[in-house]
Amino acid sequence: MKKRVPMRVAGWSSLFLIVLITVLAFQGLIGFSESGPDWALLNDSYFHSILVFSLKQALLSALLSVVLAWPIARTLYYLPNVPALNSFLSLCLLCFVMPTLVLITGLVVLAGQAEWSLYGLNGILLAHIYLNMPFAIRVFYQQLKGIPDSSWKLSAQLKLSHWQRLRIIEWPSLRGTSLMLFGFIFVLCFNSFAIVLALGGGPQSTTLEVAIYQALKYDFNIPEALMLAWVQLLIAGGLFLMVSRMGSANWLSVDTASDEWTPQAKGWRSWLMKSSYYLVWLVLLLPILALLFGLIQGDFSRMSLASLIKPTLITVSLGLFSAVIGMALAYAMLNPIRQMNSLGQTRRRVFFEWLATHALVAPAMVVSVGLFIFLLQRIDIDRWGIVFVAILNTSIVVPFAVQKLKPRLYQFDAQYGDLSRSLKLQGWVLWKIEWPFIKSAFFSTFALILVLSMGDVAIFSIFGSKEWTTLPWLIYEYAGTYRMVEASLASMLLLALCALILWLFEKAQTPHA
Amino acid sequence: MLKISQLIIERDGKQLSYDFRLEEGKILAIQGLSGVGKTTLLSAIAGFVESIEGLISWQGDSLNSLPVEQRPVSYLFQEHNLFEHLSVIENLSLGFSGVAPKAQIVEATVVLQVADQLEKRPRELSGGQRQRVALIRTLLRPEPLVLLDEPFAELDPKTRAIATEWVRDTAKLLGKTVLMVTHQSEDVDRVADESLVLEC
Amino acid sequence: MKNLLVAVSALLLSVATYAADLTVYTYDSFVSDWGPGPKLEKAFETQCQCDLEFIASEDGVSILNRLRIEKDNTKADVLLGIDDALIEVTRKEGLVQSHEVSLDGLKKELNWKDSDFVPFDYGYFSFVYDSSKIAKPPTSLKELIESDASVIYQDPRTSTPGQGLMLWVKKVYGDESPAAWSQLAQHTVTVTKGWWEAYSMFLEGGADYVLSYNTSPAYHVVTESKTQYRAALFEEGHVAQVEVAAITRTSSNRVLAQQFLEFLISKDAQAIIPTTNWMLPVIDGVDLPPVFSELIMPKRIGFTPDEVAVQRKEWLKEWRSTAAR
Repeated sequence: MKKRVPMRVAGWSSLFLIVLITVLAFQGLIGFSESGPDWALLNDSYFHSILVFSLKQALLSALLSVVLAWPIARTLYYLPNVPALNSFLSLCLLCFVMPTLVLITGLVVLAGQAEWSLYGLNGILLAHIYLNMPFAIRVFYQQLKGIPDSSWKLSAQLKLSHWQRLRIIEWPSLRGTSLMLFGFIFVLCFNSFAIVLALGGGPQSTTLEVAIYQALKYDFNIPEALMLAWVQLLIAGGLFLMVSRMGSANWLSVDTASDEWTPQAKGWRSWLMKSSYYLVWLVLLLPILALLFGLIQGDFSRMSLASLIKPTLITVSLGLFSAVIGMALAYAMLNPIRQMNSLGQTRRRVFFEWLATHALVAPAMVVSVGLFIFLLQRIDIDRWGIVFVAILNTSIVVPFAVQKLKPRLYQFDAQYGDLSRSLKLQGWVLWKIEWPFIKSAFFSTFALILVLSMGDVAIFSIFGSKEWTTLPWLIYEYAGTYRMVEASLASMLLLALCALILWLFEKAQTPHA
Repeated sequence: MLKISQLIIERDGKQLSYDFRLEEGKILAIQGLSGVGKTTLLSAIAGFVESIEGLISWQGDSLNSLPVEQRPVSYLFQEHNLFEHLSVIENLSLGFSGVAPKAQIVEATVVLQVADQLEKRPRELSGGQRQRVALIRTLLRPEPLVLLDEPFAELDPKTRAIATEWVRDTAKLLGKTVLMVTHQSEDVDRVADESLVLEC
Repeated sequence: MKNLLVAVSALLLSVATYAADLTVYTYDSFVSDWGPGPKLEKAFETQCQCDLEFIASEDGVSILNRLRIEKDNTKADVLLGIDDALIEVTRKEGLVQSHEVSLDGLKKELNWKDSDFVPFDYGYFSFVYDSSKIAKPPTSLKELIESDASVIYQDPRTSTPGQGLMLWVKKVYGDESPAAWSQLAQHTVTVTKGWWEAYSMFLEGGADYVLSYNTSPAYHVVTESKTQYRAALFEEGHVAQVEVAAITRTSSNRVLAQQFLEFLISKDAQAIIPTTNWMLPVIDGVDLPPVFSELIMPKRIGFTPDEVAVQRKEWLKEWRSTAAR
């Protein structure tokens, strides 16, 4: 019993820290302006159009991502022998974490070739789907793999039809996950910034986050920014909360090694599935290929590759810092939450889960600017800025870590919770038992948040300095001074780095991640 | 002495009530129709289920307010008694507050005919072998109160005979107080001192 | 414990005493390795035998925002890199003091008399195109807007060129601007957040014309030896962007700051700036690569900083409702 207390303290402290960052940020903004949020804007028609657009693009993006992901996941599950299946899953993960800058450049090059209008709602949806559908594919696939073999054995014995199999076995397995995914992707797209700005095509495509940026930028109109921020927090936060309650953290079944009874697709179904699989491969690779293509034609005579080394090292170091601390925080935070889960305290659990992952819904613009204002008045930002870049990066990746670790930890609790308690396992002994079970999820989560934090640049632009430039920031610097080709090269390097890290981690994996 | 006094537990909208005594060192067989609340009783004694009212006391001390981790109980669940990702011998070494009594454990595995399975993973064992492994640990743990939920269900008649004998011998030798849920009357005859039949 | 305190105090003190002699707030691209910053820093430090430190914010507007947040606690002695459109706002918020630097050496056409701000480079907003793809560019803004050529420009709410275009359209069209915006929207590929997003898209072949500066072609000729990029000259005239520097009100290094401003408009600095920042020098007689004499030199039109400060919000509202597709 004694050992559990430090863990509990660590858990609550982590939660407190994460919430503190957001609170300080809001305080920074609120404390700075004399007047509070400009609620009069609620009646402004411009505000209405922004709100509608934000909701529309997020809804469509999330819907399409989830709906399109489902058949592909089925393909992977029912045709386990398609070539390069594991590489495909890795590619999916890469797409999810791809720095938005890299994607946008790739898409622009692609659109240039095809002479097709990328800009507007179409472009935004395309980019969002590209980034999120692969993630959905992975999640669905893992969920499907969790269907117990015994179910399939039974279905074979009962001679169930395709439709019955879908309805009785597949859909119940995916139903909760679909909702969770939808909510998660909706929030990501609702808060989308770089993509909307780059591909929106004009003032008609403005989301709340973009509007906050515009309010803060020129006019430094804090009341307007605050009002928009609260609205965004309420909507995104509210929706996320709702979805968390309705969707379930679907328990993957008891670990079994066998999958001999999973039906395999045959005939025209097989053909259709295989075609879609290759098609998606192509689609996902295209922007990357386009980027490479543009690169090959470039002139690098003026570029020194050595100038890329330091930023790369800094990027990786910052990323590692954020990833390690992020994992620790996420694991700690989940401790009290797991307790609530085991005790069936659903409402408490959902609330604290929301709190742990709220950084997802907090407007990034507000958090970075708010924190900047808060700190600028109190410490020497130019000297310590990198610390805050690291802290902010960490707070951004924590929700992802929590989301990804949670199911596996819950599964451990469900499967072995009572047994562990009955055997009075605690502290180090309990950890030694838990570790082999969660190891795989741990590593894949680590890789994910490492790569995510490496690609982050929005924060840096406010806190950064010349002494410690990161790779993404270097890309922006090149681009901002006519050096487009160098920017492309640096982008490619960043992408290759991300891909390398993901590949290394996937190699060191059991198939369970 | 284990005292269950006017214990009332709510399950699925129904109220189950229990009231009995068990002397220390005795073995009690709990029988009854499916769904009457046998497992629920064991869960309550172990601390996994809360009661509405009533008292559970051991040696004069109330157990009601104690969490699972502090109850003097060693519990064999109906299933999921072993960690799938640990070997049999690793599983057997868990649940002892100090160092596990290796010699005793190994000797028990010989008697119960699972001595050659020690390095294997649980999924490589048959249902009966897994149950015997779990039985060994449950009986050899230091806690004085032993709860067994259908401990012999997976065993064939021959191994059943061996196991029931071993359980009775070991329990008496170590002075354990045992509550055993079972459907089989042979188990009751071979192992138990007393019997309790639960009714709705 | 005592040792720890001593060590920490020593560390803090050392950090505190590390303050440069002159601190200049500027924007990011100014201090990139290939921008004017490093060279200017070296030249000035040699001249003054002092330590100059640049602190960079994202862009010109961010410099202003940072000052707004810091108020009296700012470290900056000099602001460098806000544009003329922001002059009135900056002045009204009491952030700068008069420089008392002689403005006689400046180009006559700039007609610069401001006592608080000193210009250090300027350019004309222009639409840049690829002459190998377009033989006959439009000769007026009206012609471009009425044509169906694909155009990329920047958002006036977040980018100075974008704002420049807004002023340009207002000056040329006046009350008929809404119709012009709607017409432009018909063949606008996209409106980007900043200059480089638009320009890189243009270079990738994303549009026929991109809003940039009349000096952009110079970059391509000098650094890449590419001569196909040109700026279109419009007969109505172009809006200019003048980048300025000023001394902050709270600066305690006024003499050194003044010296820096004088340095900025001296021949030494003005020789460095055009080929690193790719803008025009503000004094005559600077030695420039040949291509600079081939750049278009348009007639200057526009509004005074005062007029911009007053009308900006209105014009933005007009833009955002009429430029939507």
